[in-house]
Amino acid sequence: MLELSRRRFLIGAGLGGLAMASPRLFAADTASGPEAFLTRPIPSTGEPVPAIGMGTWITFNVGADQYLIDQRTRVLEAFLERNGTVIDCSPMYGSSADVIGAGLDRLGAHDRIFAATKIWTSDGSETREQAATSERRWGIDRFDLLQVHNLLAWQEHLATLREMKSEGRVRYVGITTSHGRRHRELARIMETEPLDFVQLTYNVLDREAEERLLPLARERGIAVIVNRPFQGGSLFRRFQSEPLPPWAGEAGVGNWAEFFLKFILSHPAVTCAIPATTRVEHMQENMGAMYGRLPDTGQRRMMAEYVRKL
Amino acid sequence: MSGAVWLSYSLQDLVMFGPEVFLRLFVRINQALWPWLLLWPAAALLLPWLGRQNSEWPRRLAMALAGLAWIGCGYLFLVRYYGPINWPATGFGWVFVVQGLFLLMLKGKALPAPLAWPTVVAWWLVVLVLPWFAVLQAGEMRALALFGVAPGITVAASVLLFAGQPAPLRWLLLLLPLAWSLFSAATYWALGTFWLLAYPGAALVLSVLALRTNPRPARIPDLRSARPGRGHRSSGSPPG
Repeated sequence: MLELSRRRFLIGAGLGGLAMASPRLFAADTASGPEAFLTRPIPSTGEPVPAIGMGTWITFNVGADQYLIDQRTRVLEAFLERNGTVIDCSPMYGSSADVIGAGLDRLGAHDRIFAATKIWTSDGSETREQAATSERRWGIDRFDLLQVHNLLAWQEHLATLREMKSEGRVRYVGITTSHGRRHRELARIMETEPLDFVQLTYNVLDREAEERLLPLARERGIAVIVNRPFQGGSLFRRFQSEPLPPWAGEAGVGNWAEFFLKFILSHPAVTCAIPATTRVEHMQENMGAMYGRLPDTGQRRMMAEYVRKL
Repeated sequence: MSGAVWLSYSLQDLVMFGPEVFLRLFVRINQALWPWLLLWPAAALLLPWLGRQNSEWPRRLAMALAGLAWIGCGYLFLVRYYGPINWPATGFGWVFVVQGLFLLMLKGKALPAPLAWPTVVAWWLVVLVLPWFAVLQAGEMRALALFGVAPGITVAASVLLFAGQPAPLRWLLLLLPLAWSLFSAATYWALGTFWLLAYPGAALVLSVLALRTNPRPARIPDLRSARPGRGHRSSGSPPG
C-alpha cells in the first residue's frame, strides 16, 4: 500500500518529530523531551518501518457490531496518530479484515499503512484468489506483505507469492509461525528460500527464537515481525500487579507494556513487534515503546532475570 | 493443516474472539428484535401448557413453537450474528434450522403424550431462570438470553421435550443438543465466561434427569405402535 513509502515515511517522521516537540500535546508522554520514533529497515530493501505495528488476532474480530467497529476504528486511529503503519491480519481471523477495511475507509487511511496479511489455505492453488479476497476486504489495491500462514502449504504458496512479487502484485513475501511451533522447519525454509520477512513468536518468556531463528534472520537479511509480544495478554495478567524494577527508567521503560515491547525491540534482529489491543489507552501505551531509549544488552539480561524471579 | 498441528493449539488459541464481542451478540439481537422480542418469553411460557393438553392440536402447536424456536435461534443468532466471528457457529446454525424443520415436520408425532407436570415445571424454571445468567455475565439487562433467540437456553429447554420421546427419535433429537453443549461449554471455558457454562450444564443435567425419569419405550409395549393423538403418557405423567 505504501507507494513512495520512503518519502512518505520521512515526511511522517518529520511531522512526528514536530508533534513530539509540542509540550502541550505530549507533556505526559515525553518527559525526556522531543525525540524521533524508532524505525527499523527491511533488510531486503532498506525501507524503514516503524518498530511497533498492530496485530489484529482476536481484537478486530467483532463481526458486524457497529458499536465495536467504531471502537476499533478509534484504536486504529490512535495507532496511526502515533506513527504506526504496519497492520497485520489473516483470513483466519474471522471478520478482522472487514473491520480493518471499515476503519481505513472511515479514516481515509488506506495509503498510510504498511498492509500485511497472510495466505491461510491448505489448497496451494488458491494463493492469488485468497490474496484478492483479502485486498477487497481491506479495500486496497495490493498488499505490502503477503505471508504464508503457519507454514501451511508453504511450497506452493511461496512459489506463487514470488511470482506475484515479480509482477508487482505484492512488495514483500514472507512466512509465519506462532506459539513457538515448527521452528526447525522454519529455520530450514529460512536457510534455503529467499524471504523478505518471517513472523514468529518472541517475548520475554518465550525466547526459543533467540537460539536459531533470530541469528539466522540477521545472517540471511530477513526482516522479523514478532507476534504474541505479550503472550496473548498473559504477561500482563501475571506481572502487571508487580512493580517495575527500580532501574526501569534507565532502560527507557515507563510501564509494563514498554517493558515487554522494548525487551523485544532491543534484539537487533527484530524489525517490528505487533501487539494487539481493543483499547485506545493500551494502544497509546504500546506505541510509547517506539520512543525513548532501548535497553542495552546488560539491561535485557536484567529484564529477563527480573521477570523470571517474579 | 495436519491434525498434529491442530492438536498443538490450545483451546484458547482456537477461539478467535473476545468475551465482550460474544456477549454483545445477545444485546444486539435483543435490540434488533425489540419490541417483537416480548413474544418469545410469552411463547416459551405457553409452550409446555400446550404440550400438556390432552387433545392433539395444542401438542402439535407446542412442537411447532419448539421448531420455530430452533429455526429462529439457528438462523438469527448462530448464522447471522455469531457466524461472522466464529465459523463453526454458521454450521451449527444451519443444523439448528434443519432440526427445527424436522420438529415442524414431526407435528404431533414428537409429543405422543401430554407433558408431565415435572417436565412443565422444569421447563418454566429453565425459561425463567436461565436467561439471567447471560445478564450476570454481561453485567447488563439487555443481554437477557431468551428461549428461541439464544441457542443455550433453547437447547436446555428443548431437551426436556426430546428426552421423553421414544427411541430412536429421542437419540436423534438429542444428538445436536449434546454436540452444541460440548462445543459451547468449550467456548465459554476458553473465553472465561463462566456464568454462561450454566447453559450447556443445564442442558446436560436436564437430559440425564429427563432420560432417567422417562421410561424406555420397550417397557411400554403399546408405545411402539403409538400413533399421534392417541394420548399415550410417559411414565410418571399424571393425567393431563
